[in-house]
Amino acid sequence: MYSITYHRASSVEEAASLLTSFEEGKFIAGGQTLIPTMKLRIAAPSHLVDLRHIETLKGITVEKSMVTIGAMTTHAEVAGSVELHSVCPSLCALAGGIGDPAVRYMGTIGGSVANNDPAADYPAAMMALGASIVTNRRTIVADDFFKGLFETALDDTEIIAAIRFKPPVRGAYAKFPSPASRFAMTGVFVAQADDGIVRVGVTGAGLSGVFRQTGFEQALTNDWSQAALDNVSVDESMMLSDIHANATYRVNLVKVMAKRAVAAASGMRK
Amino acid sequence: MRKNSGLGASLRRYEDDRLIVGAGSFGDDLNLPGQAYAVMVRSPYAHARIISIKIEAALAQSGILAVLTAADYVADGLKPVPLRPITVSPPDIPAVNADGSPIFIPPCYPLALDRARYVGEGVAWVVGESIELCKSAAELVEVEYEELKAVSDSRAALDSTTALLWDDLKSNVVLDGRAGSAAAVDEAFQRARHVVRLDALIPRQTGAPMEPRTAAASYDPVAGKVTLYAGGGSVTRPRGDLMHMLNLSNEQVRVVARDVGGNFGTKNYTFPEFALSAWAAMKLGRPVKWNCERIESFLSDFHGRDLAVEAELALDETGKFLALRSTNLSNLGAYPFSFIPLLKGTELMSSLYDIPAASARTMAVCTNTPPTAPLRSAGRPEAMFVMERLIDLAAKKCGFDRLELRRRNLIPRANLPYNNPYGMEYDSGDYPGVFEIAVELADMAGFPERKAESESRGLKRGIGFGNYIESASGAPHERAIVTVHPEGKISVIIGTLSAGQGHDTSFRQVVVEFLGVSPDAVEIRTGDTDVATVGGGSHSGRSMRHATTTIAKASSEIITRGTRLAALLLQLPEHQISFHDGKFSSPAANRSIDLFELARVALEQREIPEDLRGVLQATADVHSTVSSFPFGSHVSEVEVDIETGAVTVARYAAVDDVGRAVNPMTVDGQTHGGIAMGIGEALMEKCVYSETGELLSASFMDYAMPRASDLPSFTTHISEVPSTTHPHGLRGGSEGGVTPTLAVVCNAVLDALAEFDIDHIELPLTPDHVWQAIASRSSR
Repeated sequence: MYSITYHRASSVEEAASLLTSFEEGKFIAGGQTLIPTMKLRIAAPSHLVDLRHIETLKGITVEKSMVTIGAMTTHAEVAGSVELHSVCPSLCALAGGIGDPAVRYMGTIGGSVANNDPAADYPAAMMALGASIVTNRRTIVADDFFKGLFETALDDTEIIAAIRFKPPVRGAYAKFPSPASRFAMTGVFVAQADDGIVRVGVTGAGLSGVFRQTGFEQALTNDWSQAALDNVSVDESMMLSDIHANATYRVNLVKVMAKRAVAAASGMRK
Repeated sequence: MRKNSGLGASLRRYEDDRLIVGAGSFGDDLNLPGQAYAVMVRSPYAHARIISIKIEAALAQSGILAVLTAADYVADGLKPVPLRPITVSPPDIPAVNADGSPIFIPPCYPLALDRARYVGEGVAWVVGESIELCKSAAELVEVEYEELKAVSDSRAALDSTTALLWDDLKSNVVLDGRAGSAAAVDEAFQRARHVVRLDALIPRQTGAPMEPRTAAASYDPVAGKVTLYAGGGSVTRPRGDLMHMLNLSNEQVRVVARDVGGNFGTKNYTFPEFALSAWAAMKLGRPVKWNCERIESFLSDFHGRDLAVEAELALDETGKFLALRSTNLSNLGAYPFSFIPLLKGTELMSSLYDIPAASARTMAVCTNTPPTAPLRSAGRPEAMFVMERLIDLAAKKCGFDRLELRRRNLIPRANLPYNNPYGMEYDSGDYPGVFEIAVELADMAGFPERKAESESRGLKRGIGFGNYIESASGAPHERAIVTVHPEGKISVIIGTLSAGQGHDTSFRQVVVEFLGVSPDAVEIRTGDTDVATVGGGSHSGRSMRHATTTIAKASSEIITRGTRLAALLLQLPEHQISFHDGKFSSPAANRSIDLFELARVALEQREIPEDLRGVLQATADVHSTVSSFPFGSHVSEVEVDIETGAVTVARYAAVDDVGRAVNPMTVDGQTHGGIAMGIGEALMEKCVYSETGELLSASFMDYAMPRASDLPSFTTHISEVPSTTHPHGLRGGSEGGVTPTLAVVCNAVLDALAEFDIDHIELPLTPDHVWQAIASRSSR
C-alpha cells in the first residue's frame, strides 16, 4: 500500500468539501473492495475520506410502505433488521449471503452500490426493486444509476445518502456463487410490485454489469410461474465469458436462477 | 506407558497447545536485529529476452540498500541452482531418452540472466529498509524486454517450432523415454476382445500452503557463516544447494526451519529467494528477510500435476485385463526440476491390478510456466485416475459390472510379492481385502434409496469406486541421534521436518515403544543443520518410516550398552538383565536400575570401564533404497444438479493400508486432508494459463480451493497389513488420502450422469464443465 492521509468526516457536507480539496482523494465506506485493491497497489489514492462515522448515513427506516436504508448501513445490519424483514425479507437474505461475516460487518450498502462490481449482489436488488439512490444532490433511479462495469451516474464528489424503495409484494434473490470467490457467477433478483409488475435484476452474468432481463419481466408479469420463463430466450451476446463460466453456461444460469428466485418468492423449495 | 502411548496409540498431539494459542514460530514471526527487507521484481512476460535492466532510479530512493540482478550474481562467481530431475533413490523406471541422447539440464539462476521464461520469474532483487520502500523502488527498476513467442500447454509445446524455451535443445522435449514392453503390449492388443481409450489432461494444481514461502538470512563475518531461516521439506537439501551456489563450505552454511505452515511438496526445493537472501545478507552485512505474498505464491511456487495422458486398456471376453498402453506427457514448466511425478505415476499406472503387459512413452516438455515438482502423492493421483476411469469405461462400454471387473483383476494376496509390468515389485498387502471393506462401507444396498431421495430434490446421485497403490521411498539416508539425559529427558535429533504432520507426537511414540519412557520425557529436535547435520527431510512418505527404523536402531544400541552397565552395577550376569518400561531389571534378583539413573552413572562414575563411560547416546544411520507400497480403496457418492452442473460430495469413505499406524488419529487427520485436497483437484482447482502463458488464476478470487462447507464428514478405515520392506511394517500414511480421490469423485460424477452417456468431462469438474458435458449430450 502506498502511504495515504486519512480523514474522518462527521457530515456529508464536510466529506464532500474535503474530497474537493484533494487531487487524488477517494471516499471510503466499509473498505472491503478499496482496501484490498490499495494493498495490491492497484488503487492509489493520496487521501481517504471516511464516510462511516456520519450519523445521518446510518440506519433503516420503514414508513408509509417506503423503505429507507442509510448508505453506511452494513450488510450485517440489513441482514439482521427485523423491521426490514417484515416487509422485504428477500433483501435481508441477500445481505446475509454477501461475502463472509467479516465482510458483512464492515461492508455497507452504499459502498457496494457505488462500487457497482459486476458480480456484487446489491445492484441486482436495486434494479429489481426499482430502488432510488438518494445522494447529497439528487435522487437517481436504479435504471439510470448503474452504467456498466464499476461505473455509475455518481459525480466524483457526490455521496450516496440512502437507498429508497417500495417493498415488493413478493421477491427473492437466487445466487449461483463462483467456486473460487463466492461472488455471484450469476445472481437473479425477481420482485413483483403491488401493481403486479415484475422486475428482474441480473448480476454476475452480463458483459456490461448488472442488467434487467425485460423478457423475463414481461413473461412473469403476465404469468407468475417458473414455466412462464421456459420459452423466453436470453441473449448470449450480452453474457460474460471467463475462466469459470462461458457465455452459453451463463445464459443457462440466468434462466435457472430466475426460476429458482420465482420458486423461492412463491414459497416453493426450488 | 507403552500400551497407551507407544506405536499404535492415538496420542493427542503435543504441538497443538502451542499452535492453537498462537505460540507457533513461523517464517514471518522471525525478526532479526537490524534486518533489511527484500522484494522481487518479477517478469510480466511469459517469454522475453532481457535487453537491459536499469537500476539507478530504484537505487537512488531513500532507504534502498541494493538492487541486485543476475549480472551481479554471475560477476560474483556464483552458480545456478543444481537441477536434479531424476529420482534420488531407486527403484524407479529409468529417465533415459529412447534415442540415447543425454538429458538436457539448463542452468537455472536465481534471477533470470538473459531471458525470462515464465510470468513471475525473478529479474531483480530489491533490498531496503522496509517492504513498502522496496515495493516502490521495485516499480522504478526499468527492465527492457523483447517479447518472445510463448507456450503454456504441454501438448502445444510438444509441437511448437517457434516457441522454444532452450536454444540448445532444438525442441521443448527434455525427456522422451520408454517403459514396459511394447512388443508384449502390441501382441496383447491384437488378441484383445475389447479396447477402451482415455485422453485426458490432469490440470495443474498448486499446494497453496496457508503459510507462503519465506526466507531470512543473516551473515556472521567473523565465522564467515551464513544462516538461512526457511521453512520447507528439509534443511539439509537447501544447505547443500546453497553451498554449491554460493561457493561455501559445509561449515559456512546453516539452514534453520522452525514451524512450517503447510508444504504438500510445494516448499521442497531450493527457491531463488533462499540464495538471494543469503547473498544479499553477505554483501550488505545485514540480515535480509523476504516474505512471499499470495499473488507471488501463485506466480512462482512450483506447481504440481499437469499431465496429459493418452491411454488404452485391452481386455479379453471375460473382462480380464490383458495390457495397458499409454503416452504420459508431463509439463515441466520452464526448468526441468523434476521427472518424479511423471516416472512415479507411470510406473504404478497398472495399480493393484494384475495386468500382464504394459508399456508407456514417458515424455516431459518445457513450457513458459513455473516449474512443476512433486505435489502430495506426486504423479500417482494422475495415474490412478487413468486406470480407474479406464475400468469404469470398460464396464460401461463392454457390459461388465464395475465391481466385478475390479474383483476379477485385483492381484490376489497369494501373488505377492508381485512384479508389475513396469518392473515395480509390490511388497505385500491385501488388495481384494481393502476393496471389499470399501464396498461394504459403500452400503450398496442403501444406495437406491439414497438415489431416490436425491431425485426427490431434483438431484442426480452417483457412486464411484477407486483403488490405488502408491510408493513411499524418498531420500534413502536418515540419521537419528538418541541421547538419554540423567535429568529425565530423552532427546532425539533427526533430519526430517514436520510441516504439520505431527512428528513431535508420533516420533515420541517411537521412543516410548522402544525405550519405555513417558512421551513427556521425550524431546524431538529437527530443523537446524547445526543440530541435525544429515538427513533427508520430509517427502515421499519417508519421515515416519525412517524415524522408526533409526530411533529403533539407536534405542537398541542404548539398551545393549545399558544392559552391560546395568549388569555391572547390579552385579548380575548380563543374560539375567532385561529391559522393560524404562528399567533394566532382574526379576529373579529383585533388583533394577532406571534408564535415567543409569545415564547419570555412565556420565559421572569414573570407575566403570571406558567403553561404557560417558553420555548415554547412540547414533543410528539407515540407508534404505527399497520402496514400500501403501494401497487402499475409496468410495464416494455425489449429487449433481443437472440444471447448473454443480457437484456436491455427499459421502466419502476411505480404506487405507499404512502397514502399521503409529498414531491412527494423525493418520486419519492426514487422510482427511488428503481427501479434501483430492476433492479440490477433482471439482475446482486449476492453475489457468492463457495460451501465451499469462496466469489467469493468480489469487483466491480465481483459484478455487475447497472449503469445509464443501465437504461431507469422511469415514476412514485404517488397514494394517505389515509392509515386508520395512523392519517394523510401516508403509507411510501421508499421501493415501489424496491418491485415489480424483478418480473416485470423477467416477461418481459420471455414474450420476449415466443416463447422458458421457465418457469424459474436462477436469476439474466445475459446474461449467459438467453442465457443458450434459448439454452437449442432451442436444444431440
